[in-house]
Amino acid sequence: MKKKALATLLLAAMLTTSLAGCGDAADSTPTAGTAEKKEEASAETKEEATVETADGELSLAEQAIADRKAKAQASGEYEKVVVSFFDWTGAPAGLDRVNAKLSEYTREKLGVDMELLIIDAAAYTEDLKLMLSSGEQVDLFSTCGPGYMTCVNNGYTADLEEDGLLDNYGAELKSLIRTDYLDACRVGGTLYGVPPIKDYAIQTACILIGTEYLEGAGVDLSKFEKDDLGYNKATWDDVDEMFAAIHEAYPDKIVYSTQDNLLTQGSCVDNIAGDYFGCLLDPANSLEVENVYESDLFKEWADRAYRWNQAGYISGDAMTDDNGASSRIKSGAYMAMMAQAKPAYQNQINGECGRDMTIFDVGDAFMGSSAVSAFPWCMNQATEDPIAAMQVLNLLYTDPVVANLACWGEEGVEYVVNADTSINWAEGVNPDNSEYYPNVLWLMPNQYAAHVWEGDPIDVGEQTAAFNDNCPVKSKALGFTWDNSDYAAEFTALQNAYKEFGPQIVYGFVDPETGLKQLNDALYAAGLQEYMDAKQEALNEWAK
Amino acid sequence: MKMTGKKEKNLKKRLIRYIPLYIMALPGLLYLFVNNYMPLPGLVLAFKKYNAKKGIFGSKNVGFKNFKYLFATKDAFVITRNTILYNIVFIIVNTLLAVFVAILLAEMTSKLKRIYQIIILLPFMISMVIVSYLVFGFLSNDNGFINNTILSALGKEPIQWYMQKQYWPFILVFVNAWKVIGYNCIIYLSAILGIDRSIYESASIDGAGKWAQVRKITIPLLRPTIIMMTLLAVGRIFYSDFGLFYQVPQNQGALFAVTNTIDTYVYRGLLELGDISMASAAGLYQSVVGFIFILAANLIVRKLDPDNALF
Repeated sequence: MKKKALATLLLAAMLTTSLAGCGDAADSTPTAGTAEKKEEASAETKEEATVETADGELSLAEQAIADRKAKAQASGEYEKVVVSFFDWTGAPAGLDRVNAKLSEYTREKLGVDMELLIIDAAAYTEDLKLMLSSGEQVDLFSTCGPGYMTCVNNGYTADLEEDGLLDNYGAELKSLIRTDYLDACRVGGTLYGVPPIKDYAIQTACILIGTEYLEGAGVDLSKFEKDDLGYNKATWDDVDEMFAAIHEAYPDKIVYSTQDNLLTQGSCVDNIAGDYFGCLLDPANSLEVENVYESDLFKEWADRAYRWNQAGYISGDAMTDDNGASSRIKSGAYMAMMAQAKPAYQNQINGECGRDMTIFDVGDAFMGSSAVSAFPWCMNQATEDPIAAMQVLNLLYTDPVVANLACWGEEGVEYVVNADTSINWAEGVNPDNSEYYPNVLWLMPNQYAAHVWEGDPIDVGEQTAAFNDNCPVKSKALGFTWDNSDYAAEFTALQNAYKEFGPQIVYGFVDPETGLKQLNDALYAAGLQEYMDAKQEALNEWAK
Repeated sequence: MKMTGKKEKNLKKRLIRYIPLYIMALPGLLYLFVNNYMPLPGLVLAFKKYNAKKGIFGSKNVGFKNFKYLFATKDAFVITRNTILYNIVFIIVNTLLAVFVAILLAEMTSKLKRIYQIIILLPFMISMVIVSYLVFGFLSNDNGFINNTILSALGKEPIQWYMQKQYWPFILVFVNAWKVIGYNCIIYLSAILGIDRSIYESASIDGAGKWAQVRKITIPLLRPTIIMMTLLAVGRIFYSDFGLFYQVPQNQGALFAVTNTIDTYVYRGLLELGDISMASAAGLYQSVVGFIFILAANLIVRKLDPDNALF
């Protein structure tokens, strides 16, 4: 009898093994502990700080730094602020050296040690969630990966304005970011993150073609006018003509390197709340939520893709090939792709494609509702010393020394500075052997506080700001966010419906006449109307 | 239960005698406890709306709301059907093939036996991601072996394998069998090698041929192993091999009707949503149903053949 009971118990345990992961991941005890500690700490610091300001000697921020330095002197140990984000290759070999340099500077400046915790992009989301829910130290993190709304909904993020945190300790950072961009990151009125300073607008639907192929096919580029960013203005007819020409000149190469980006990069449709199940088709003028897959715009793209596929411009394996569009061009087997452009895009895309690319601008510039709040920088709600963390964040945005170290590594080792303040590789260093080259400028807090790479305009920061400001199609819903967790079942069903019928249309493998109807029927059967109604309701509520 | 003095003495004696065995079992038991029992309180997560600020036990109770997600859509039927039917087919096909191969290997006297064994086992060692590319090598449109060599040689039209779902139930069963029978057959093979050879000798003296020996000796003596392996598989009938159903069809939407299982559904859904509570609910649901299934299967075995029931 006993044996049987034991066996049953063991069996039950074996079957619940899969739950072990979940349990581990969410072990809350340490989190709760540190949260309490945090409250204590901040209350304490605040009290002291207030007393000092009353004396009129030091500002709150200066006082906090002085306190930390005094504490460090007494104990011989500096407190540490951990900053986490991802790169493409995992922790760089020279990370410890860069961290030592950073700490050397921040000890003097803020009385803290600073540690960058760089994680491989593939592992970042999981690792970060584990750290945030298990109480491991990470104070500041980029939400690029897990997603801003996911972090907010799970309660990982701290309120950055609690007790005047941002105003008192991040004043310079605050003044650097336009109020409407800051407001775009508010969720339910609370500011949980600050956006990285970058291009929020995108130049949609840019066709990129390898310059060598254009030359080989004898395409005349002089007929194209230049747009504001200096790229060739073209129409879809021009693109069709050029595709035909390069296809004829290079029959062994595949013309068009596809990806599922018709809507994300090729249109001004606003995917409010982060998905395309209910969009704003005319985001600059209207807040009406509509089904984009029934729109003329999508039909036009679908027809184009089908036509290109029929003409043999698209690989037969396009559906299963999940390599990046640019890396396929780099391989030399593909010639053209579609992407979104921005100021100083030429250098970036040439690097990605491994060859000189010619940029044809076919679409408009566009700033979507989530453009600013896509992946803000957040603070862990369990951070022991939010003030120190905020001050470090402030430095990351404003201090060239910190920004340069974080973006480019150490001067003289990784890079050298040219006479015009732009930088280039140090002697003998290249992207492959560099000990510190995260190559994720676009997610760094403020890439423009750091040096500009040789070949990019020195004033790229101003150019980008102007590009953002002048964007003609700005979504009226800028900053709208929506927690769809009450509609999780519908959302998953919609995703599955889209995956079943959508990609074939996007890659041009199915005649839009039949494909679009199939897709829309499946979407409505999966509850699209309900989902759109819920979105519309939330949007109306927000717009009030 | 009250114990008599004699029993107590016996127990004490036994405990002392088996101390080395208990020590040997200790690391395993410790592991079992840490890995499988300590996280059990975390199961409450399935009934909460998790918030890191409040912690597991402080989060809001939401009852069965997290489970609703699994049943709310029409996909619920498809994923449950796929998971169970595939597993039933796998259990039958893999057991038959594994036993068959094990018997062949056991009867083999060639010096190459070891090499055959290794070759059969090899697919089991290969990661599913790599398997998916091996399959892709056969099925690709532009360069695939089947479309470009076999079908073109036969003068047939190429098939868009990754867009046509009718072929996939067969492909998946085949790939799964190819991958796992090597491992399963080792277990059966070791059971066969454990059978007393003298039984076979006396059978052959009595004039039993190879086929009769297999039918009358090997299979009956293998039965406990087969039953145990099947019971274990039945307990996991609500789980699916994620790699097989996600990687091998290259995550192609056009094939969802025949490749979407509970695991892939939950993965796809929750990857986007990132909701820990819903993931726990899905895991708990699978565990509970799996537990019920295995108890039921064991009950049936106990009715039919009490000696071979697990408990």
